[in-house]
Amino acid sequence: MTRAIRLRVNGATHEVEVPTYRTLLDCLRNDLGLTGSKEGCGVGVCGACTVLLDGKMISSCIALAVFADGHEVTTVEGLAEDERLHPVQQAFMDLGGFQCGICTPGQVVAAKALLDSTPNPSETEIREWMLGNLCRCTGYYKIVESIQAAAQAARQ
Amino acid sequence: MTFAQECVVPVARERLWDFLMDVPAVGRCVPGIESIQAGDDGAYRGGLKVQVGPIRLALQGTITVEEQDRSVWRARMRAEANDRRLGGGIRARMSVTLAPVAEGTRLHIETDLAVLGKIGEFGQPVIKKKADTLLQEFVRNIGSALAA
Amino acid sequence: MNAFEYRTPRTPDEVLAILQEFGEDARAVAGGTALVTMMRQGLVRPACLVSLRDVTGLGRIEATNGVIRLGALVTHREAEVSPLLRERLPVLAETFRRVATVRIRHMATVGGALAHADPNQDPPVTLLALGARVEIQRAGGRRELPVEAFFRDYYETALEPGELVAGVSVPLLPSATGASFVKFLPRSADDYATVAVAAVVTLEPDGERCREARIALGSVAVTPLRARGAETVLAGQRLDQRVLRATGEAARAEVDPMTDHRGSAAYKREMTAVMVGRALTQAWDAARRALGSMR
Repeated sequence: MTRAIRLRVNGATHEVEVPTYRTLLDCLRNDLGLTGSKEGCGVGVCGACTVLLDGKMISSCIALAVFADGHEVTTVEGLAEDERLHPVQQAFMDLGGFQCGICTPGQVVAAKALLDSTPNPSETEIREWMLGNLCRCTGYYKIVESIQAAAQAARQ
Repeated sequence: MTFAQECVVPVARERLWDFLMDVPAVGRCVPGIESIQAGDDGAYRGGLKVQVGPIRLALQGTITVEEQDRSVWRARMRAEANDRRLGGGIRARMSVTLAPVAEGTRLHIETDLAVLGKIGEFGQPVIKKKADTLLQEFVRNIGSALAA
Repeated sequence: MNAFEYRTPRTPDEVLAILQEFGEDARAVAGGTALVTMMRQGLVRPACLVSLRDVTGLGRIEATNGVIRLGALVTHREAEVSPLLRERLPVLAETFRRVATVRIRHMATVGGALAHADPNQDPPVTLLALGARVEIQRAGGRRELPVEAFFRDYYETALEPGELVAGVSVPLLPSATGASFVKFLPRSADDYATVAVAAVVTLEPDGERCREARIALGSVAVTPLRARGAETVLAGQRLDQRVLRATGEAARAEVDPMTDHRGSAAYKREMTAVMVGRALTQAWDAARRALGSMR
């Protein structure tokens, strides 16, 4: 069974017909060609699939695409404005907040959501918000520092 | 995983033994049993439905009496069943002994259960609890069937 | 996942009609964090998913007559940050905050948590200790059940076919009462508890002895559990090390945990005794503060 859905992704409206069992992640990656979000664990734990649904960060691997019908989705592809990277993206690059990069789309989307809701987060607040975005490479230090730097840059 | 179930059935040992060796009859005491039919090879084929909350298993398999020794009132059975949709199954070996007691016969069942594939991945402890509950009900059903 | 029909009703009555139409082949879905995960693993295969996401009227948090009511579609995150809940029942807001990650909490709902009935979940433990009541909607009306009667077994509730969790009502703490929630999780912070304890302690006016205690335990049985034996040990007593130990031991005797990757049954039993002690100490201190601020 399929369903025609209409969703706004990164500001652009898309109309797609999807099987009801299609996850939001698969819809973004396969139907819309937005392969920035990754499937890591498939059970909503690792955070590699993090996207924003109506501004709220969710695990897109355990959300159905039909949940997004009539709603707004933000993926990592929607963070930069034209050629200008989002402060979070710029900070991750400047401070080395990523190594292999597989968790990075999820990390930056989650970090953007944090700064949207809490522009000046403490280190504790950063760690608590980000605890669900797993990274096997960095040990998390540079991720936290990148977010702190992004917060500071955004305030200027 | 292993289980031990015991109950006293208020009938004589001989009668309980004959009942237990009648696989279709004792099979109907298994909670959730849907069908049980004799095959040509001496094994019995059956279907079993088990539910844990929203999770429903439809197991199809066989049960065989591997050993029966009336002189010492001991029997061994083997069951194998799969849920094709889920991709998983169970393998069980059951050892049954009967002992006379004042009130009738004590039925002792020891089960060695292996849960394989997808079903096995889903929470072994839950399966253990469920299997324990099912076996308890099974033994109670035997008692009821014979009391009737 | 299997192919299924997806319906998007707008009212509880429409939901019930669809559940009636499909019988046990339909499942209601709100956040989907538990259900979609199970469907992806092939464990649950409904013929129809009834989405609650567009149903109006079930998403409110409101206080009336000494009771706080959470609608079934209130998300964990909404409960966690609710100014009303943080002010009037902070132990419950805090419990919601301990669940998994923000991503999960943005989707998972109060009603879904109740209907899912995994004894490892946090909110039911605190709801049990607080004496909450589950509101159930059915064709033709509503009924209410205390949380204790709502959970029947692992993943099983008292919901009949064609019924829906509409919300949960939680009484505010009486005076001279303190509450705490202790989640013991030796692995990662987003995990389920190895052992969870919610304690509510009401003091006698002298502030020394316990008038009444309610102790609820999670992850140590097939449902969340009231440790009534432990509560009896504590009633009328002054809280000291001896009483704390005795209460912990009584609680330990009441649990029936399963060995899993969060701990062996023996370990969980040990930790039950320890965590009951910690939760009671915290609730006691909170009760004394509540009493003190009254004077």
